Amino acid sequence: MITSTIQPPPSDGDMVGLHARGPLLTAFGLAIGWLVASGVFSLIAAIQLHSAAFLADCEYLTHGRVRALAETSFVYGWAGGAGISAVVLILSRLGGNPLRAANWFGAGSVFWNLGIAAGLVGIATGDMTSFSLLQLPRYVQPLMVFASAAMGIAGLLAWSGRRRDGTFASHWYGVAGLVLLPWALTAAQVSLLWFPMRGVLQAVAAAWYTEAVIFLWLTPLSLACACYLAAKLVGRALPSYEAAPLAFWMLIVVGTWSAGRHLVGGPVPAWIPTMAVFSFSMLLYHFAVVGLNLRPVFGLSGSVGSALKFGVGSYLLYGAVAFLACFRGIALRTQFTHFASATEQLFLYGSVSMILFAALYFLVPQLLGRGWSSPALMSGHLAGATIGVVLSVVALGWAGISQGAVMLEPKTGFGEIASGVRPYLLVNTGAQLVLLASNLLLAVNFLRSLCSCCQGSGVSTALSEGSAS
Amino acid sequence: MKNGPLFLFGLLVSAVIAWSAIVLGAHGQLGGLTPWFDDGEGKSHPARPTGLAARGQLVYADLGCAACHTQQVRRPGFGSDQERGWGDRQSVARDYIFQERPQIGSSRIGPDLANFGARKPQPPSAETLLALLHSGSDRHPAFPFLFETRKIEGESSARALKLSGKAAPSVGYEVVPSERAVTLVAYLLNLNSPYVYPEAKPLVRAVAKEEGKK
Repeated sequence: MITSTIQPPPSDGDMVGLHARGPLLTAFGLAIGWLVASGVFSLIAAIQLHSAAFLADCEYLTHGRVRALAETSFVYGWAGGAGISAVVLILSRLGGNPLRAANWFGAGSVFWNLGIAAGLVGIATGDMTSFSLLQLPRYVQPLMVFASAAMGIAGLLAWSGRRRDGTFASHWYGVAGLVLLPWALTAAQVSLLWFPMRGVLQAVAAAWYTEAVIFLWLTPLSLACACYLAAKLVGRALPSYEAAPLAFWMLIVVGTWSAGRHLVGGPVPAWIPTMAVFSFSMLLYHFAVVGLNLRPVFGLSGSVGSALKFGVGSYLLYGAVAFLACFRGIALRTQFTHFASATEQLFLYGSVSMILFAALYFLVPQLLGRGWSSPALMSGHLAGATIGVVLSVVALGWAGISQGAVMLEPKTGFGEIASGVRPYLLVNTGAQLVLLASNLLLAVNFLRSLCSCCQGSGVSTALSEGSAS
Repeated sequence: MKNGPLFLFGLLVSAVIAWSAIVLGAHGQLGGLTPWFDDGEGKSHPARPTGLAARGQLVYADLGCAACHTQQVRRPGFGSDQERGWGDRQSVARDYIFQERPQIGSSRIGPDLANFGARKPQPPSAETLLALLHSGSDRHPAFPFLFETRKIEGESSARALKLSGKAAPSVGYEVVPSERAVTLVAYLLNLNSPYVYPEAKPLVRAVAKEEGKK
């Protein structure tokens, strides 16, 4: 068993550089802020699912808007913000040079967060686009493209200017995540917002973008972190590594062909959902190899190791569940139900977030030059997050399955369906409360670590010692 | 993967190919869909939504109604959509060609609304809908911000809601729907696609088999 610690690990090569600490720490801090904000919105949305009247008479918080607010602040604010920052930091460390273009990263991060803040106000006042995962109002969308590109430049420079000639899995996934978001976001904006396609083609383009966010952006970002952390925590090369390049290209090449799994039975050409089954079965190779490559993490213990373990496990489980739900026979029972939210929660929270939590706990000490201020808060946070994710995924999944079964019975009215799933939805509300509370622990711990670091005069000393060693 | 430019090129080409295949492929197939002209009736389907309804769709979108309601009827045998009275045939791409922002949705916390304006035995009246939007029900949230409660000056407005019980305004006051409420209701009652296009007819297996024999 390998125990992970919260102490800064021995540095590989030079430190990221003092100049990059400010922008990176700010970006991490803001991402944690969005995480807490999205927790509040998710809680409101969860309550509204079983008590429709809750806050719905407030124009800014109708269920549709709260859902969009929660999703946007979580995906772009937290997962995107923390993911891009962690990957830039990892690419810089793997490159062995101080971070170049840190000011580009800083400026990009400021505009990214301003864009999200403006976008959330826009959503609350009714400017959402009504496309899933692309809810930010059209007037902030171009800003998001430029901001993400500016943040990505720092990562690209770190990658191209690396000292060692070879590349690692973290490199491929990281660069892919940084490069493909601006492209996918542009393609989605052009086809949906600036020159909207006709009729249901919008649904097809939106489904493609949803898939791109999952498989071309968040998955690469989180796998870049997972591969890096696995190698660092386990302390040796990943097993079955020779299969990793093919698994990577499998994800990039066929990942978004499965967009049709969101449109089964809909008014779209039938080949689109069929293509999803075919391409997702090819993606199973990717999931299998990721499982093989990262299997040493299942031997890890300690808080960071457990979070990583949970994240990788959730990713594999997500692959299996999403694959099954591609099939028409199963989609018939899961489509349009809470099951879809459960699957999304499993991916976004169980996989992406948990891996990012592990990355944060591992990387922030390197930036601060000292460990997290409170290991107790850290284990409290991770335990809470684990419980919350398991509870909400199981509750929503169960609610979805029972809802799907009774929806097939034409005689069962919606009132009856709603009372049937109410207990599960109450459990989900409890789970969201646990998640919110545990994320507050992360925020408090982060702020305390930051403060104790600023107060202690030895920051620069610690850093220079770090680079000297 | 040591060759940086080649690696980046590979990434972008993969993404462009996938996007083109799915999005442009579907566009190639459906982008040129035209309304269907019925010689017998002497008019074409679907009809363009009225101005009020088109504006109402924007209200539907900005309130996020699609978070709970879909607007797509699935084919017979795939779900109970038609048994539930949501439509007499499956929705097809042609139904949506005049919609600026189709709201096909992905979640059914509430019923499907694709043919809401043609509910049987009779569609809900505008008054019922406005009352539901104003006061809500057990399952449906209230949206009082779509209405104005104002003092009656002179005669009460013809548009004022007839509310009773808890929802009724205090004496001397009336509840009048805002323009947004009116357009939203017009949109909901305009949701109807009864015409059976050739592509919307269910494929009958027996017929298909017979044709195969010939």
